[in-house]
Amino acid sequence: MTKPIAPAPAARTWRDIPQPVKPRAMSRSGRRRLVTGVLRTTAGVAFCVALAWGAWSVAGALQENPGKMPAAAKAVPVRAPQFKTDGVLDHAWLERTLRIPKGASLMELDLEQLRARLLADGQVLTATLTRHFPDRLVVAVTERSPIAKVMAEWGGQQRPLLVARDGVMFAGDRHDPAMVERLPWLDGLTIARRGAAFLPLEGMEIVGELLAKARLEADHLYRSWRVVSLARLASDRELEVRTVQGVTIIFSAHGDFFRQLAKLDYMWEKIANVPDAQARIDLTLGREVPVRIEVAPAATAPDATPGGPAPTISLLHNSQPKTKREF
Amino acid sequence: MSSRTTFIGAVEIGTSKITVLVGEYTGRELAIIGRGECSSRGVIKGAVVDYKAASECTHSALEQAERDAGERIELVFLAQTGGHLEGFYNEASVNVKASDNVIDAGDVRMVCDLAKSKELPVGRMVVHHIRRPFRVDGRLVPGSPEQLVGQRLELGYWTVHGQEQRLADNIHVIRGFNLEVRELVLSSLASGHMVTTAEERQHGVLAIDIGAGTTDFVLYRDGAPHTTGVVSVGGTHLTNDLSIGLRLTDGQAEKLKLRFGRATVQVRDKAQKVWLDGNFAIGDRQFPQYAIEQITSARAWELLEVVKKKLGNAFTPEGCASGVVLTGGTAKLAGIGETAAKIFGVPAHLGEAPTWVNENLRDPGYHTALGLLYYGVSAQADKSAPARAKGGFFTNIKRIFA
Repeated sequence: MTKPIAPAPAARTWRDIPQPVKPRAMSRSGRRRLVTGVLRTTAGVAFCVALAWGAWSVAGALQENPGKMPAAAKAVPVRAPQFKTDGVLDHAWLERTLRIPKGASLMELDLEQLRARLLADGQVLTATLTRHFPDRLVVAVTERSPIAKVMAEWGGQQRPLLVARDGVMFAGDRHDPAMVERLPWLDGLTIARRGAAFLPLEGMEIVGELLAKARLEADHLYRSWRVVSLARLASDRELEVRTVQGVTIIFSAHGDFFRQLAKLDYMWEKIANVPDAQARIDLTLGREVPVRIEVAPAATAPDATPGGPAPTISLLHNSQPKTKREF
Repeated sequence: MSSRTTFIGAVEIGTSKITVLVGEYTGRELAIIGRGECSSRGVIKGAVVDYKAASECTHSALEQAERDAGERIELVFLAQTGGHLEGFYNEASVNVKASDNVIDAGDVRMVCDLAKSKELPVGRMVVHHIRRPFRVDGRLVPGSPEQLVGQRLELGYWTVHGQEQRLADNIHVIRGFNLEVRELVLSSLASGHMVTTAEERQHGVLAIDIGAGTTDFVLYRDGAPHTTGVVSVGGTHLTNDLSIGLRLTDGQAEKLKLRFGRATVQVRDKAQKVWLDGNFAIGDRQFPQYAIEQITSARAWELLEVVKKKLGNAFTPEGCASGVVLTGGTAKLAGIGETAAKIFGVPAHLGEAPTWVNENLRDPGYHTALGLLYYGVSAQADKSAPARAKGGFFTNIKRIFA
């Protein structure tokens, strides 16, 4: 068996001589040449970047300016719009609201008009319409969330409307009925109109803050709230909440709702457990919370005075808890 | 080389002058578009002895060539000469591996590697590996031996090597101008490629480039370079001899050499005299023409004798059927062809550039620079992996805008 012959390592060639030279080692003309080369390269790269930026700008302008679009794009009928939302509105509502004529091309659509139609529905907070050539319209909306409901005249009949935190009222057709049922009613307010549309309700930011705090910090209390009255909001800065148990709670808009909810929670079990009691809890007086309980006359009580006024129990409750309770 | 237009500079750093030619290479065609020249300083016998002076001259010639061409040179083919260059022949042979004796690429690669694998002394570097034709069982194969049938594959390389410091000095002169040396080409190969035809090379021809400081020669056989060499004697030695023999300054001796120098003694009247300047001004003197011719012819004769001696057994009149071709600045010396013919015993003539070369570049002084461009381009095109592919993204970007 013969072994293959291994060639000796290759001898060094002139190509092994390192060629890189620092500018300092170059002659003046060499350095000048180097600087010129760098400047040329920089200018060339800058030119390319400028060219690319220009092309990008032109492309953007063409996309925005319908007059410069090719005729072919104008002839293609628009497809069903693509709908994006963060709420409950659906595609049927979109088509009903936009009312895009059949066979219309993308360029024939007046996006401002379509947007105005969408925003006319109080449930829509923002709306963005985008053309995607050749035949696609993309509609993105953000919706208002209801925090309460109010009875108002709508389309010639009395019906409940939903109210958002910014005071805007809307029909809210697509919302979950159970969720709508849980929302408290608003009372003692004035509904103003401009033309056919409702103006936003005043004072809703305060109501919204109270309801949001209650939902977040004391949901067991919030669930019993049936009506929120704004009747004394403008005059006394007070909100009156009526619960399903018949308890009336008065909140002060001047004070911190969190502290008031904490006081209410502290005494709530005691008061709510009084059978047939019509309690009135005033949380507007600082540390002292006057609680007035009116017990309804029992029909079977032998010593009750018929037709007489119901007995009233008034007590001044010191709301300072013995031990600190965390919410 | 890529198909993109490349501007190549061919630089010859000679003892008397530095020549730069700018070639525009498109991948298929090469056109000469610029020229730069400068009197040489800091170079003796082809070697850089004063880096600063040599750099200044070379850079001046490069700038002039770039201005003339109106383009920036991207890479350089540099001519290499000097007495430090030496050559040797190394041969290798391999047995064909395949059972059916068909030669494959592996056999060729193996024999090439073996023939090139010769260690050099410390401080020496390879400048060229010049391949001689393959032999298959002793039979000459001009082209590739692949797919031929045979038992033994032989190959020899004529390896030219030089001193690392001398090579590095020449390269650094070019790098000082922020240019890359892409190819280092032996001066004799460059000028020989230009003044000989493919037919002459096939029949055998000796090309001698007599410069100012050195004389480069290359002997072609079977269409390929067979032997190369450098003799550190050139035209300046003739000038020096005249200067010493007639007691003249170098400038005066150079003037006399150019006007009355000959490689053979032609004048019969020993009393015949010639004027130094011929303008009868103060200082103008007369010199015997016989003496001038005798001095120059003796040195020319000796120079060619040295070349023949260096060639040794490689040169035979039978193996050099196309004779001797002379080129270089000193080849313009009258009667040098006759002298060469007498010494080598074969016809000799002055080399001429091909007919397609522009009239301005037909002077023998440009043959090396012209040959550099053509030899360098063809050497680059022969490489399977183009050297341009090397380099990173930013290098390529720079090349685009350079």
